Amino acid sequence: MPELTSETPDTGTSWADQVEQEDEPDHTVLPQPTEVIKNGIKTITEYKMNDDDKLVKVVRTYKLETLKVHKAIAKRKLWAKFGDSKTDKPGPNPATTMVAEDVFLVLTSNKEDLNQQDDDPFKKLQNQKTIVQCRICKGDHWTLKCPYKDTLEPLQQQLKEEENAANSSGEGGSKPTNLNQTGGKYVAPGRREGASGRGEMMSSRNRDETATIRVTNLSEDTRESDLQELFRPFGPISRIYLAKDKITNQSKGFAFINFVRREDAAQAIKCVSGLGYDHLILNVEWARPSNT
Amino acid sequence: MRPIALHGHERSITHIKYSRDGDLLFSSAKDSSPSVWYSINGERLGTYKGHGGAVWCIDVDWTTTKVITGSADNSLRLWDTETGTQLGKFDTRSAVRTCAFSYCGNRIMFSTDKQMGHACEIFFCDIRDSAQMGHNSSYLSIPVDGPKVTSAIWGPLDYYIIAGHENGTVCQWDSKSGQRLLNVEGHTKAVNDIQPYHDTTMFVTASKDTTAKLFDSDSLEHLKTYKTERPVNSASLSSLKHHVVLGGGQEAMDVTTTSTRIGKFDARFFHMVFEEEIGRVKGHFGPINSVTFHPDGKSYSSGGEDGYVRLHQFDPSYFEYEFEY
Repeated sequence: MPELTSETPDTGTSWADQVEQEDEPDHTVLPQPTEVIKNGIKTITEYKMNDDDKLVKVVRTYKLETLKVHKAIAKRKLWAKFGDSKTDKPGPNPATTMVAEDVFLVLTSNKEDLNQQDDDPFKKLQNQKTIVQCRICKGDHWTLKCPYKDTLEPLQQQLKEEENAANSSGEGGSKPTNLNQTGGKYVAPGRREGASGRGEMMSSRNRDETATIRVTNLSEDTRESDLQELFRPFGPISRIYLAKDKITNQSKGFAFINFVRREDAAQAIKCVSGLGYDHLILNVEWARPSNT
Repeated sequence: MRPIALHGHERSITHIKYSRDGDLLFSSAKDSSPSVWYSINGERLGTYKGHGGAVWCIDVDWTTTKVITGSADNSLRLWDTETGTQLGKFDTRSAVRTCAFSYCGNRIMFSTDKQMGHACEIFFCDIRDSAQMGHNSSYLSIPVDGPKVTSAIWGPLDYYIIAGHENGTVCQWDSKSGQRLLNVEGHTKAVNDIQPYHDTTMFVTASKDTTAKLFDSDSLEHLKTYKTERPVNSASLSSLKHHVVLGGGQEAMDVTTTSTRIGKFDARFFHMVFEEEIGRVKGHFGPINSVTFHPDGKSYSSGGEDGYVRLHQFDPSYFEYEFEY
């Protein structure tokens, strides 16, 4: 088994060696971590054992930046760590310092946008069609309180009986065809009309992607602020994701825009698709759900 | 923008404070180890070990050489910023709620809670005099018979301190004679936080009565009001733009009994002059207890009930934004 020293870059080990390492039952000695600094990018390769006793290679890439600061600040940057951080290595300790998810600060002058996002669950309920529906006249009241109870109900029953009789006499022994319409049988929520087939998931990890559009054929110089400017007129935007190269920070040519309302997204597709932007023609379409 | 989350505290954050140059960020929490972080990359420099209870307040002097912390273990401690060694300790009779260095860095002010049969008191100490810190003798102490002090800062040129009280009043207390100079009924409920404008001519108060207000330091004249729908725990003024950031949320004890939507815990940006809300930032899972702008106004940090401190570096679009009026 070859020993990795800090001088040899990790490219020196072939995959065959690594497989061999994994097969060995007791590899108490982990390969030494390596640190390569190249073109202002620091790559740290570390090896550790995971819960299943497998060797795991962790590669971390940092961008090194040199800042010019005041002498006092530079001096403070060189202070030795103390207290609970005494044993920490130079640089941020991943146990205490982590990079959080992107957040957005959209500065606007008009208050309406902010209030629209504050959707009240009660308002949503109010906007929905009434939950109660009368079985007799389809009005929005309980069946018991139907004003046409006495006049319509006997009539409907009569009609139904006639229908059933016609069915059974026409095709002897066949099942009644209007099983679906009677509505008497229990139907699981997932199979009801309008259901998506699967139950709703508890985790809200997958974002609401119904109002998301995909913009492709963007030029390399596009920034998020440009997209903001371009799509802002169509309505409030909840999120803009512009795919960027990790190192050069240049756009990869496509972006996703989440609108708050689907109508706004539709309008944006209609208007911006085919628009000449920089020197390219934009292609805008609905985003496909990421998990299919 | 992509914030850096600092998870060095086991319990909720009580106070965060930048050093004068903004390179260090000090944080205190309800656990007993106040911490210091490099604000540029979120690296933890160290923790100040010694307290035996929740730490309510933390402050640093203008040279960034000394730190004071006030704790519920009935003590105020003075630390060396660089090494984390304890330089002094002042024992009080009840928990220390607020503490602050004067602009000169030689005098400190701190106030204690009305608790366990003891009245609220404001203390003034000279840290150069070892007899004062070593023997728990302050050169001036003001007994406050009334609502306790919940937040306090030094006024311009160290002549007086500005204190916010539990019933919403804002007072000026002379730092030499101990007299109450001015008294205004600024809020209707407790003043949770006071932070000065960068030139100390104005200050912003954050109150449980769901508003934050801007006051003139000298006359305590009420200038502006920033209204929200929930208690405001902290507010800070930008030195770069006319912006105010407000942090708050439902009280920790009400969180389980009301709507769980995360939107209630946004940091909210207001225009300082026009009093209009201009933006929100999500992120915390609990109310924000302390929020502060970097001294250069190009980033801000917030510490929450969830135990996280979040460092936010503004995007370029923030600096291009102009309020339309």
